[in-house]
Amino acid sequence: MSSLIVFLVAFPLVIGALLLGVHSGKLRNVIVVLAGLIVAGASIVTAATFGNGNALFFGLPNGLTLGQGLLVVEVLMAAFVLFVSIQNRRVLAPILVLGQLAISFYLELAGKMPEIDAGRLFWFDRLSMVMVLIIGIIGTLICIHSLGYMRDYHRSSPMIKGRRTAFFCLLFVFLGSMFGLVVSNYLPLMLVFWEITTLCSFLLIGYTRTEETIGYAFDALNMNMLGGLAFSGAILLLINGNQTLDLAKLTSGPASAALLPALALLCLAGLTKAAQMPFSRWLLGAMYAPSPTSALLHSSTMVKAGVFLLLRLSPAIAGSDLGTMVAFIGMLTFLFVSLVGLTEQNTKKVLAYSTIGSLGLIVGCAGLGSPELIWVGVMIIIFHALAKGLLFLVVGTIENRFYTKDMENFDTLLSRLPLVSALALVGIAGMFIAPFGVVVAKWTAIRAFLEIPGWQGAALLVIMAFGSSFTIFYWGKLLIKVLSMKSVTEYERSIQKRISSFEWIAEIALAAGVLAVTFFLAAISEQVVGPFALATFKGTSQSFLHVEPVMLATMIVAVLFLPVLALWASRHENYNMSDFYAAGRPVTNGNVVGMALGGTRAVTLRNYYLEGVVNGQLVFRAGTTICAALLIAALAAGMVGR
Amino acid sequence: MNPIVYAVLFVLLAPVFGGLLAGIDRIASARMQSRVGPPLLQPFYDLGKLLQKDARQVNPLVEPLLLGHVGFMAATGAMLVGGVDLIFVAFVFALAALFLVLAAGTVNSPYSFTGAERELVVLLAAEPFFILMLAAICKVTDASSYQGVLSSAVMVAPKLPGVLLAFTFVATIKLRKSPFDISTSHHAHQELVSGLTSDMSGRLLAYVEMAHWYESAILASFVILFFNWSVPLGLLAFAVIYAAEVLVDNSTSRAKWQLVLRSTWAVTLLLAGGNVLALFLLK
Repeated sequence: MSSLIVFLVAFPLVIGALLLGVHSGKLRNVIVVLAGLIVAGASIVTAATFGNGNALFFGLPNGLTLGQGLLVVEVLMAAFVLFVSIQNRRVLAPILVLGQLAISFYLELAGKMPEIDAGRLFWFDRLSMVMVLIIGIIGTLICIHSLGYMRDYHRSSPMIKGRRTAFFCLLFVFLGSMFGLVVSNYLPLMLVFWEITTLCSFLLIGYTRTEETIGYAFDALNMNMLGGLAFSGAILLLINGNQTLDLAKLTSGPASAALLPALALLCLAGLTKAAQMPFSRWLLGAMYAPSPTSALLHSSTMVKAGVFLLLRLSPAIAGSDLGTMVAFIGMLTFLFVSLVGLTEQNTKKVLAYSTIGSLGLIVGCAGLGSPELIWVGVMIIIFHALAKGLLFLVVGTIENRFYTKDMENFDTLLSRLPLVSALALVGIAGMFIAPFGVVVAKWTAIRAFLEIPGWQGAALLVIMAFGSSFTIFYWGKLLIKVLSMKSVTEYERSIQKRISSFEWIAEIALAAGVLAVTFFLAAISEQVVGPFALATFKGTSQSFLHVEPVMLATMIVAVLFLPVLALWASRHENYNMSDFYAAGRPVTNGNVVGMALGGTRAVTLRNYYLEGVVNGQLVFRAGTTICAALLIAALAAGMVGR
Repeated sequence: MNPIVYAVLFVLLAPVFGGLLAGIDRIASARMQSRVGPPLLQPFYDLGKLLQKDARQVNPLVEPLLLGHVGFMAATGAMLVGGVDLIFVAFVFALAALFLVLAAGTVNSPYSFTGAERELVVLLAAEPFFILMLAAICKVTDASSYQGVLSSAVMVAPKLPGVLLAFTFVATIKLRKSPFDISTSHHAHQELVSGLTSDMSGRLLAYVEMAHWYESAILASFVILFFNWSVPLGLLAFAVIYAAEVLVDNSTSRAKWQLVLRSTWAVTLLLAGGNVLALFLLK
């Protein structure tokens, strides 16, 4: 097991370094595809060797030791951050990174670092297994997709300097560090991987190196490094309090008052990485990165590191004031960003709001902590990684065809890109119509909220009722746009043929994944997620998921309905079977209406964005303020050990 | 009796119930306007006529989507009385309503599209209430299914007066009564012509009508949940609520969608939310 983990971490790093020197596009394609397949294969082998599912702890193989390795990596990263900050004249980032470095040096030079238990550096359990599979399989598919996407991206925006060697290097470095993060048990080790993912995200957001994207990149860097600093602070507090740095021991049960200050800081780190309010802004800025980056880092995996940590902490913080307040930050974030999402026209940003909302639900589940809620949290991680990853890739493909991310320009998509539309419909169905983004997870969550006594239970129910209804509205609008039809020209029909096979393979595989997890829902629940939830909370034989066959059948029909319908309809010879009603005016081509004096006008249809009822910016600011206040209260509660 | 029997009975009988309700509605409305009104069975005659007529299809998507609308609406009712978890039913109910929006939205017509958008607003307005209502009913009775609520020793309505009051408000939307009918209209003088049904004709319109009948029956079943100690009493309560809706329909003009959204959210939050809060604090 231990050599497999080392391979999973080290192999992508080596490939990343190798890709930095590969300038030939063809050679790069070969290396990325082969290395991706090896990574995916290794992640599957790792999961398969896991065996009976009991948590495993292990160290490095063959007498390898960490030595001063962690400190060296930290110094290198700090030097890099200082360099780019000076280059771009930024102040906050150096302060944060130096603060973090100061803590590390203080601990090292004062000889405070406790003896490492070399046999417990890594922790592999069912949650790590789920994460490893997500990173290995979905990560690989997204890397393969990028090969096609980046080619078209640079074709469509020739003024952007191509730095594809760096791009693919970063993707692989990211994969390696992400593997390391989800199997780490020793907190300083996890912190190093944590910071590498932050740097990868920073560099990928700033890929185009325009003033705008560099600004967003620093936003992301600052907020995530604030989380990193909090993580360091937590390690400092733990060491000063003579507590363990062993994550599994730390979270084996409800935490004592002495542990809560450090746990509060770890929660802060988790909240920044999961882009919860008041830190949501960085994820919206991150949408300016190329779409595969959004799919890989900013929906499927990296932001999941935040909720992964919170799920790990869940048994320790559940029941404390700290845990409850963290849960409310998550649930309120879900409510507010879903409301803001109603007013957003940029499709990638709608997806970002939806991502922050889904993460908020998971944070809510982790903070409250019960076997049922942990079950919900992990289920959302799985479905969200597949469906949202797919949606980002599809939007990327559309963007490279029509040069727009505006939802309004996705009009009549089904007529123009039928197969892409069908894939988008699978993604949307996976997020919202069918079991996961919403139905079973939200349903189980509501069931669990009903058991929470006092005003908290009532507040959570109201938040859930409103929040999940908001999501219907923006997914509904997107569905209307995707599904509308008109007659198309030969040229329009030919656009779809120019999509690269890399993109097709990745998107079709992800869509198949969404369908597969829907079909095997019961098995995944019984074999993986259920046992994990019970092991985490020392529960016995609850049956969280009582999915009756009729429910499962309904969900499968619901997921398949729209994509199948779309494929069937797109095979029709005539998309425009008869003219629509236009108050007696003549209609031509399915969207041009004759006017009174003989002129014609094409119909433009624009979705409602609730102007005058919901002010998106105001809601976003209100949510940020409220959650910031709650966060301060949560930290204060943690500091006094409540 | 086996719950599956209830489910089958619902699928078969709900349209009869909905059709008769529509017939009574038309007679009552006519009397309020000093007219005689059509025969009681007129909605069935209309449906028969629609089914015989040619359907003018704008694109290949509309008909399947409308079939999905009817199908999921019938499935919602069947699951509801068939004993499936009530909160799960709330999600399927929303999905069923969404199919109608999609059917109208896929048509490029300004009339259909505006109707579809308004229907989506209406869905957005009403949906939080239904989730909250079913969750509250589960909380009061400690049950999770329709049969569980009916056999519960706790009477629901006295514990949830605020939710029931909010129901009468939100039901106005679902029953397509003014002031909140903003997406379809049976009256020729409205600015939307016929709202989201503008481009549906013949059997397509018949599907919409059928789905609406199922929807009425689902709403009646919801009212029975409030009066869980006696089904006849529940039906009586539904009759009273429906009569009030008809009266409101005939004495008001239509509201703008902004008002619908704001007022429904406010009612849901204050009446239903307040009621749920009291319930959690007292229990």
